[in-house]
Amino acid sequence: MRLLNWFRRKRLEDGLDRELRYHFDRRVADFVAAGIPAAEARRKAALELGGISQVQEEVRDVWLMTWLRDFVYDLRFSARSHLRSPAFTAAAVLSLALGIGATTAIYSLVDQVVLHALPVREPERLVLTHWQGDFAGGGFGTYDLMSYPFCRDLQAQDRFFEGVLCRATTVVNLSTGGDPSPAVAELVSGTYFSVLGVGPAVGRVFGSEDDGTPGTNPVVVLAHDFWQKRLAGDPGVVGRTILINQHPMTVVGVAAASFRGIDVGEVPALWVPASMSSQAIPGFEDMFDRRTRWMQVLGRLREGVTLAQARTGLEPWFKSMLQEDTKRAGFPRLTPERRRAFLAATLDLTPAPQGHSPLRRSLSQPLWVLFAATALLLALACLNVAGLFLARGSARTREISTRLALGASRGRIGRQLLADSVLIAILGGLLGIVLAPVAIRTLIAFLPHDVAANALRSTVDSRLLLFAFAMTIVAGLLSGLAPALQAGRRSLISALRDRSGGAFGGVQLRKVIVTAQIALSLILVIGAVLFVRTLEALLAKGPGFATDRLISFTLQPRQNGYSPADTSRLLRRVYDEVRVSPAVETASMVRFPFLVGGSWSNFMTIQAGERIATDRDVQLNEVSPGFFAALGIRLVAGRDFDRRDFKPLGDETYRAAIVNENFVRRYLGGRNPLGLRVCIGSGPDARPNVEIVGVVEDFSYRNLREESEQAYFPVFDQAGGQFYVRSRGNPDQAMRAIRSIVHAADPALPVTNLRTVDDQVQRSLSNERILAALSSGFGTLALLLSLVGLYGVMSFVVTQRTREIGIRIALGATGRSALWLVLREAAIMIAAGAAVAIPAVVALGRLVQAELYGVSPTNSLSIGEATLVLASASLVAAAIPAWRAARLNPVDALRLD
Amino acid sequence: MPPSRFPIPQGTLDMLILQILSLEPAHGYGIAQRLEQISNSVVQVNQGSLYPALHRLEQKRWLTAAWKQSETGREAKFYSLTAAGRKQLAVERDSWARLAGAVRLIFEEGGRS
Repeated sequence: MRLLNWFRRKRLEDGLDRELRYHFDRRVADFVAAGIPAAEARRKAALELGGISQVQEEVRDVWLMTWLRDFVYDLRFSARSHLRSPAFTAAAVLSLALGIGATTAIYSLVDQVVLHALPVREPERLVLTHWQGDFAGGGFGTYDLMSYPFCRDLQAQDRFFEGVLCRATTVVNLSTGGDPSPAVAELVSGTYFSVLGVGPAVGRVFGSEDDGTPGTNPVVVLAHDFWQKRLAGDPGVVGRTILINQHPMTVVGVAAASFRGIDVGEVPALWVPASMSSQAIPGFEDMFDRRTRWMQVLGRLREGVTLAQARTGLEPWFKSMLQEDTKRAGFPRLTPERRRAFLAATLDLTPAPQGHSPLRRSLSQPLWVLFAATALLLALACLNVAGLFLARGSARTREISTRLALGASRGRIGRQLLADSVLIAILGGLLGIVLAPVAIRTLIAFLPHDVAANALRSTVDSRLLLFAFAMTIVAGLLSGLAPALQAGRRSLISALRDRSGGAFGGVQLRKVIVTAQIALSLILVIGAVLFVRTLEALLAKGPGFATDRLISFTLQPRQNGYSPADTSRLLRRVYDEVRVSPAVETASMVRFPFLVGGSWSNFMTIQAGERIATDRDVQLNEVSPGFFAALGIRLVAGRDFDRRDFKPLGDETYRAAIVNENFVRRYLGGRNPLGLRVCIGSGPDARPNVEIVGVVEDFSYRNLREESEQAYFPVFDQAGGQFYVRSRGNPDQAMRAIRSIVHAADPALPVTNLRTVDDQVQRSLSNERILAALSSGFGTLALLLSLVGLYGVMSFVVTQRTREIGIRIALGATGRSALWLVLREAAIMIAAGAAVAIPAVVALGRLVQAELYGVSPTNSLSIGEATLVLASASLVAAAIPAWRAARLNPVDALRLD
Repeated sequence: MPPSRFPIPQGTLDMLILQILSLEPAHGYGIAQRLEQISNSVVQVNQGSLYPALHRLEQKRWLTAAWKQSETGREAKFYSLTAAGRKQLAVERDSWARLAGAVRLIFEEGGRS
């Protein structure tokens, strides 16, 4: 096979080398014999050849040209033979297109979410810091949180870092002239752009001078997309004033077009210096507090410094910082164990070439699972095409034997067959690339729109093309390999002697392929059953309260410059008006939204005779009186909040608490919780002085999966609020009423996250829905592909054994036994496939465990169900040819030849 | 007066190689020597272009090659003609004869006028 020239390269080169040296040496010897001095002889001989390396180059060109020419011949020949059998070609191309398209689509998301390095200078030198252990403080945000002063301190560690940056995202009310609307802002240190190595497209980016005294740097840098889309690329944007939470700020520049922040899931519209955090996050005054963590801190390692060096090198500094922290004013009083735990904390550094992204955390595992599923699907499609080729190859036995007899080498024929499959794969790949953007858009549609619309793109870029091309070549080689090998192994004599002209044809190999197909599709079908069960279980469980006609929305007056007192007045007005609106049945208000993945949480202390500190976070919220009743959450004991529990404005202590059943179970055993006193926090200075007045049944807070301990306090309506409204009749009508009520109260105040709670439940299940929907799709496709394969092989087997079956029937065998004869072969393949697949599922199951709910990966019912579906479908596919065998007329069968 | 040695016409080298090998298998150096005997008198063959030609002919499967002991005792790569190569030589010899005949005819006509 000349394709192997590439692999045989070394042998060819050695041969040429020896050949030329032989020539050269002989020539020199002849010259010397003729009396020419040795040196002169060598020079002359080399001159005559025109330089040995020159000759080598020319010979190499010859090799390459022949290879290319033959390959083009093969492709032309393949194209002609494919055109002669369009149905076969279409089936093969389509199965590969589906496989390649699906794999490319999933890979696109994997690449965007998980793999793609930030478009910054040398991203591989970026590291993310993580506080491992007790932080002895509070904070807000997602993961890997640090305080602002920590970032400043780390900047001084310039032995390891070229620079250090910190950043946090927040949603601000942004007005560029019209009504304010919510926008994502990234609060960053002055070093942010220089450490990343991102420059401006227009104007300038921040320097350290922009991150000085708090409140004195009202400047912003806009994101390129935002500038183009919302400001129509206004060339005079630098110097323009915009309002952020009603604070005027000046645009100093637009960041480079390719840069979209360091979090793929939350693309900022603009950047604000951290020194303006009080303006960007109303009510936030703790920027310089060392015990408040809210930012991610990333560093750029110095040239030549490794991660391990930095990690160990920073250890002494970090430890001494911990010691110092305990001596600072304002450091909380800790129990001795807590103090030890705090001092045992370590600083972890992780590589962060892709930046920091909570979306990556939540989405990467499902994406890898799906990617593995599509890889299986593609393998299955390749097997299918290989099976089709083998089937066609057996029909072409005569042609191939004749060519072999005429002197074609086995290699040449094998290569021809490979060219066949590569051509099919290239067509499939092209179609797959056309399909991929559609598939990516469909995938993105499963994700919550606000995330997807901003963060993920369905365009096919060069990386993706490269990937699709690689997949295409792999698919082509994989699906052509079996037929090509088969052609190489075939015995010429027996093929020519074989009078039935096709009885031979890799039946064994085809059976192996079908068995592998059955195994792969069984794995995918079991996966589908597990993921569908998971989604069903979560939907059946629900959030623990009635969601029908329930609407929620958010108001954040503080972000529009309201004072706490004005906020309180506005929220009360909206609350009262919404409650009496004819479109509304009940209304209630809480501090933080439910089912959005996050929560307010903290340790708590309970005074129940002895003092009990919780051993993990309790999830907290503030709710208005009537909230539980409005949502249909049962009060198990005690009473709901009422007027008594509220204090005058300005007094921020709670007077009553309600806990859930989980809380009582975990911490109070059989004790009566009513009348016990609790407080937030677990240090020695925590004073449990809030009375538990009620217990409610459990319901979901962060998401549907989690069981948690919860505690509720009367709502403080000074910060902003989340409303839960049950509409009377159509929710749309209530939504319109809500919008007009808020608009009447303040036209400039945006109503955000206005949607039904059912919608919110669906959003919170987006990962589960993607997995269930796609794995079912893949499972069905896989099943169909392997049924086609099985049907093909069994039909072939029946044709091949027609004579034998005819004789059996002639000798008195019943049709039934003939049926069984064929079905038995199918049953053996199915059983063998299952025998391979089920242990594989058990092994793979561990990897998807985290994605499942209410069903274990080795759940025998699910496995049994999937196996049953596959086995019965397979037997039906095999029964068609078997039935044909059973109805054979022995006379016809014996005459056939 | 024409130069005593002129460069070999394009495409003729392949034919000459086939012709030389039709007598007996030979290694590259042997072929070069035979070519030199011819070229001393009439044509000039660049020895450097010999090897690409040999490999091209081998790839076309007109020649096969095998490593054998040469007359000096060292291993050398011996080329020999295949059936296809023999056929090709006949074709080329034939077309060459026709071309040469045609050219002669043209010159003779030109000479007469």
